[in-house]
Amino acid sequence: MQASRARLFKEYKEVQREKSADPDIQLICDDSNIFKWTAVIKGPSETPFEGGVFQLAFSIPEQYPLLPPQVRFITKIFHPNVHFKTGEICLDILKNAWSPAWTLQSVCRAIIALMAHPEADSPLNCDSGNLLRSGDIRGYQSMARMYTRLAAMPKKE
Amino acid sequence: MGYDGAPSPASAAARDAKKKRGNRSSAKLKQCKLDARREQWLSQVKDGKEATAKPLPAGAGSGAGSNAGSPILASPHPPLPRRRADARSRGGVLEDDKEDAGATGHEVGGSDLDSPMHSPCSDNSRGGGCTQSKRCSSNGGGPSLSSVSSLWSSSRSVSDAEDDDTGSGPEEENGVLDDWEAVADALSVDDNSHCHQSLGTTMPPAATSESAPLANTSKRTEPIRSNARAWTPDDTFRPQSLPSISKQSSFPARIGNCWGMGMSAAHQSILSMPLSCPICYEDLDPTDSSFLPCPCGFHLCLFCHKRILEADARCPGCRKLYNSGSAGEGAPTPVRLSRSCSMGPRH
Repeated sequence: MQASRARLFKEYKEVQREKSADPDIQLICDDSNIFKWTAVIKGPSETPFEGGVFQLAFSIPEQYPLLPPQVRFITKIFHPNVHFKTGEICLDILKNAWSPAWTLQSVCRAIIALMAHPEADSPLNCDSGNLLRSGDIRGYQSMARMYTRLAAMPKKE
Repeated sequence: MGYDGAPSPASAAARDAKKKRGNRSSAKLKQCKLDARREQWLSQVKDGKEATAKPLPAGAGSGAGSNAGSPILASPHPPLPRRRADARSRGGVLEDDKEDAGATGHEVGGSDLDSPMHSPCSDNSRGGGCTQSKRCSSNGGGPSLSSVSSLWSSSRSVSDAEDDDTGSGPEEENGVLDDWEAVADALSVDDNSHCHQSLGTTMPPAATSESAPLANTSKRTEPIRSNARAWTPDDTFRPQSLPSISKQSSFPARIGNCWGMGMSAAHQSILSMPLSCPICYEDLDPTDSSFLPCPCGFHLCLFCHKRILEADARCPGCRKLYNSGSAGEGAPTPVRLSRSCSMGPRH
């Protein structure tokens, strides 16, 4: 309990200090609860998510960093490893492959990497996974790009 | 001179009390010395400004007392400037002081008067042979009156000890001739220390002060001083508190630790391992740094290691069970090592 708080506080200070280190990731701690964080990540370039800004919600257990944080997408995203309705993320490092040496920042990086490299064999979004598994890359990309425009980009009007 | 006693009457009184508790007689003698000296300066002064200040020295007991105490007591500021002044005028101290006594009494008095108001003096040049203003300008660090005047009186006392048979001024003769011997005796201890200083050693005046109770106060003020001065390695007066000072002055704790460990050790630790535990982000102490629970070389503190053992017992670096890792510790294959390192989540 106390250890997780101390660790999160250190991470917070690290984030404040290296704000400009990774321009694609913006980590914001909840004002009143250090166990609730929000991250804003930019969609990686040369993917259907390019140009989109995606919001992530972190819920950190008290046993952190021995247990991984729970992360989900707030912004809708069409991705085989992200549940379309709940935003749940299927990522090994958020489950059994978690290591206490990971940080919230590195989790964000891993999620960005996952966006660029979808894993169609363990889909949470079956429509998206099926498109990829059937080899319809163009179909997957156009769907993903459409949802990026709809949900992750500022409205033009 | 009206400003003289004014800035610190309370502190002067406190000093006086302290002083008198220790050795009343020497204080008295010093006061005599001060009074005499003031009289001498003032009689040399022709200015109207100084003329108005003339009546003061006779009744300026507290002011003189504060000055009497100051050569020792006002130590936090003077040592550095004084040393600088000595370094500047080293070799020429006596000549300068003679000059002072003879010709530049007016300027001496002026600087004594004015420097508290606008110190440090803007006059950094050596123009006019005004050693006193030189000293004053070198005293930029210590704007307090007591430091200035202590500077002055100390340098004067050196000159007086040497000069008094040359008859630098008739005022001196008729003013203090009676108790001159006593004054000289009282000064001798002090003068010795100052002479030492002018010879270039870096002894603080507080360390050589003769009164025991002052040692305590001087110890307290020592950290401030020794920040500004360099101690020679063979200096017997190098304060024992110096190591702790260096620790204090280097604020980043990590660097401080490194200095404490010595440079070679610090280098090693910087090169070979993280300075803080990657799990809890606390600084690794030497025990933690030498603690290698897993052949993959992942460092972490003992506390986190214990917590992980109680949980899933896998190394955070390679995600292998700690027990199996330590069982195969005899010959960890390089392939496995590199792979586990590449799996390390730090980027």
